[in-house]
Amino acid sequence: MKLTRREFSAGLAAGLAAPALMRSAWAQGATIKIGMCVPVTGPAAEQGLWAQNGAKLALAAVNKAGGVLGKQVELVIEDDQTTNPGIVLAFSKLAAQSDIVAFLGSIRSTQVQAMAPDVIKVGKPVMIGGTNPDLTHSGNPWLFRFRPNDNYSGRVIADFGVNTLGKKKWAIVHSTDAFGTAGGKALSEALTKLGAPPVLDQGYANQSQDFTPVVLAVKQSGADVLGTYFTFENDLGIFARQLRQLGVNIPWVGSPSVVAVSSTKLAGPALFNTYGVADFAEDSSDAAKAFGKAYRDAYKTAPDNQSAWPYDAITILSAAINKAGSTDPNKIRDAILATQKFAGAEGEYNFDKNGDGLHGYNVVKNDKGKIVYDKHIDFND
Amino acid sequence: MDLVLQLLFTGIGIGAVYALVALGFVLIFRATNVVNFAQGEFSMVAAYLMVVFSVDLGWPYWLSFLIALAGMALFGVIFNLGVYYPLRNRTYLPVIIATIGASILLSNSVLAIYGPQPQVLQGWFDTPGIQLGPVYLDSQYLLIIGVTILLVLFNFWFFEKTLLGKKLQATSQDKEMASLLGISVSTMIMITFIYSAVLGGLAGILVAPVLFVSIQMGSTIALKAFAATIIGGFGDVAGAIVGGLALGVIETFGAAYISVPYKDGFAFLVLIAFLVFRPQGIFGERVAEKA
Repeated sequence: MKLTRREFSAGLAAGLAAPALMRSAWAQGATIKIGMCVPVTGPAAEQGLWAQNGAKLALAAVNKAGGVLGKQVELVIEDDQTTNPGIVLAFSKLAAQSDIVAFLGSIRSTQVQAMAPDVIKVGKPVMIGGTNPDLTHSGNPWLFRFRPNDNYSGRVIADFGVNTLGKKKWAIVHSTDAFGTAGGKALSEALTKLGAPPVLDQGYANQSQDFTPVVLAVKQSGADVLGTYFTFENDLGIFARQLRQLGVNIPWVGSPSVVAVSSTKLAGPALFNTYGVADFAEDSSDAAKAFGKAYRDAYKTAPDNQSAWPYDAITILSAAINKAGSTDPNKIRDAILATQKFAGAEGEYNFDKNGDGLHGYNVVKNDKGKIVYDKHIDFND
Repeated sequence: MDLVLQLLFTGIGIGAVYALVALGFVLIFRATNVVNFAQGEFSMVAAYLMVVFSVDLGWPYWLSFLIALAGMALFGVIFNLGVYYPLRNRTYLPVIIATIGASILLSNSVLAIYGPQPQVLQGWFDTPGIQLGPVYLDSQYLLIIGVTILLVLFNFWFFEKTLLGKKLQATSQDKEMASLLGISVSTMIMITFIYSAVLGGLAGILVAPVLFVSIQMGSTIALKAFAATIIGGFGDVAGAIVGGLALGVIETFGAAYISVPYKDGFAFLVLIAFLVFRPQGIFGERVAEKA
């Protein structure tokens, strides 16, 4: 038999393409893939580990209950290095795998902002935990938030401090990254609306080794209550200790990091009697209690919001794909937005048209190192 | 005035930490003519050794301290043999790259063993600090400042008054000449690495109770310490101390009186100013004079 050149070329092409085609066909057939950008290295590697724990816990439950569209769900993890270039790279690596149907993005607003343009280009749903309000209000249809945004945290901090604690002279201390700036602004606006504009609005750069100038500014401002937006727990730990050492003992209501597990451990007594808004509070609902028990059983440590939101994200995303009956991005999007009155670990999800699932916060107190649930404040608008 | 004193104390405290790490930079630079970019990781490794012995194994603090420092001496030997020695006859570039590689390897090894959670290390004293009039003196910062003063005196005595110190100086000034005089150059360099590792480790252990023990604790300090060595005059021991202290004080006051978010900016603004107007640093000789 004589092979013509055309036959040879065609055969060669088919031979080269076959393994790739078979692999992609096999991959599409075997599992449903969800990509996850999470810090494995860098300053937030600690929280990244907990996020993976939460996601894997939900994944195990989903797969045990039969998976999605009759297939097992698989998580593809990519390290975002806790940096903006890192998450852009991680997301593009995941997005290049065409069989990934949806993604989990970062809990850090700065990083979500960095990846947002690529999210629009890829056109598939991305679950996020970043709480900067702008993320879901900038016309990006593919971001879905599984934590209440900072408009609510600012309003809850202000409402609790002014109406429950009765304090009107506020000092605000916030990180100068996207999260801290937006949070500080939201708190300042909420306070102004309540007739108590802050007497001090002080930013600081992440990974500062010393907070003496900040503490002295708070002291000199004569504030009788402190509101904070800290991004990193070790910054918060250093600040809390120096605050107490320099004799500032005014009531303190902060963003979720004040009541995070690692802050409580690092700062010790310096954080006793502080209040924090927490999107996750184990005693706030039955769903939260159930998640807390499962997490403790699996990892022998206390859960917090870092692990709760990926847990809810995987659970709701899986349910949405099942409801959509397809992995078509638009159908998944509609199904997520249609999710109402869903009891998650973080609270009751009622997705609005922007992609925000939650609309309120819990207030919790550090009672001698133990985080206790105080009250839940929800807003309808 | 109270404010100024409080800021001055903190500035000197944090500056002393920079100075200790800067000293390690300078000693290795003098002996080998390369910058050791893993110097910050020396501090981190020592702090983790402290956590292993004092927290995990529950051994007495002073014993853990001694073992950690001894461990750092051994670490200096391994670092010298593994990173510097194989490349000693090459130009400075491969050695610098090797130290950067070592730095990445070290932080990721600790990450792999210990996980990413920051650890808490108790301070040397039970009392967190003392109130002296209007100024609060953190006991750990007091200790750091005290140790820095002792080390300055020790360094002066060691390098100027002892035979070993003079041999080390001779080696750093002219290796061939030193070798002709019967000084074992590789032994001197080995001793330098041991001493630098112990110094860096000491800084790490002392600062850990204040900044917590974390993977990135070394790199944040080392960046400032590096700036401090340039400000002080690269290769100058006194320069490293003065540069470190100056940097700590400048950034603390800059933060308090000009802008907190740009605190790190002040440190590097000073660095740039020195590079432009006085590249040899405070104590450095003019390059022309050396020839």
